[in-house]
Amino acid sequence: MVRLRARCLMVGDPAVGKSALSQMFHSDGTLFQKNYSMTTGVELLIKSVNIPESGDSVELYIIDSAGKESLVEANEKMWGVPSLLCLVFDLASERSFGSCARWMERVRTHCKGLQVPGVLVGNKCDLSARREVPTSVAQEWAQSQGLEYHETSAKEMEKCDAPLLSLARAFHALYQERREAIQNLSPG
Amino acid sequence: MNESSIRSLGLKVVVAASNDENHPPENMIDGNANTFWMSTGMFPQEFIIRFAEMTNVSSVTLDSYNVKHLKVEKNTSENASHFEFVEEKELKLTEGQLQTNSISLGGSNATHLRFIITSGYDHFVAVHKIDAAASSLVV
Repeated sequence: MVRLRARCLMVGDPAVGKSALSQMFHSDGTLFQKNYSMTTGVELLIKSVNIPESGDSVELYIIDSAGKESLVEANEKMWGVPSLLCLVFDLASERSFGSCARWMERVRTHCKGLQVPGVLVGNKCDLSARREVPTSVAQEWAQSQGLEYHETSAKEMEKCDAPLLSLARAFHALYQERREAIQNLSPG
Repeated sequence: MNESSIRSLGLKVVVAASNDENHPPENMIDGNANTFWMSTGMFPQEFIIRFAEMTNVSSVTLDSYNVKHLKVEKNTSENASHFEFVEEKELKLTEGQLQTNSISLGGSNATHLRFIITSGYDHFVAVHKIDAAASSLVV
C-alpha cells in the first residue's frame, strides 16, 4: 500500500468554474456554491483518492488559483512545481477557451522540464443553448497539448469528478512506471 | 576508527517523508545499492538518520537517482530537532544509472543528520545507499 502525494494545479480564466469543480470534488458532490465569489488568492483543498484494485491512494493537493489576470502574477509564487494540471474553460465562452494556450505557457514555466500529466476541462456543459466551443475543437486542441479532454457540469454534478480522478490515476501510473524503471537500473 | 561502514556506526533512519512499504527508508542503510527508498510525490522530501552515539563525520556518500538539490543539516542533541545547516549540493542528472556523490561535512560532530531533497529531476526520487565516513568517535 502506497500513499502518493500530488500537487494539482487548477487554472483557467475567471468564472469558468475552477472553484466549483474543486469544491464539488472535495465535498463528494455535496457542495455547489450557487453564488459566485471570485477567488482572489490561492485556495488549497486536500482530497485522498483511492486507486481501484491496488490498495494505493493518491492525496491530491488541489491548488485552486485565481483566474483574474491582475492577480495571477502574485499567485504564481504559490504554485510551486505542479505534479498535475487541470486547465478549465467555460464551454459557453469562446474567449475562455482562447486563453488556454496562454495558461499552458504559463504553467510550463513552472514544470521545470518534468512530465506533468494534465486534463483540459470544458465546464458548464449544462448551458447547451449557449455553447460556443464545439467538442471536436476542444478535443483536438487538448490532444495537441498532450491533455486528456473532459466535459463537465459542476452545477448538474455531471461527471465533475472524472477529470481529477483521471489525474490521480495518471499520477499513480507514472509512479509505478518510474518505480519499475528504478528497479531495473544497474548500480552505478 | 576509520572509514567505518554505516552499520558499525549503528545507524538508524528515524524520519522519512515518504513511505512505500515495498521500498522503506531502511533500504538506504542496509548496505545494499540494489534496494532503495523511494519518494512518493512532491518536494521537499527529507529523511533523518541517527548515529548510535555522537560521531565525528568527515563525509557522507549517497547513491541515489533523480535527486537534483540536496541540503544536509546536523545536530548534536538526543532528539531529532534543532538542526543546523552543514552543506548543500546540486547533483548531476545520470540517466540510466545511479548518482554517486560524496558530500564533505568537514569533521562535524553529529548525532543526527537531516537530508532535505528540495528538488528532483523527476516527480519521484530514490536513495539506494548512504555511507558515512567517520574519522573518530567523540568520547
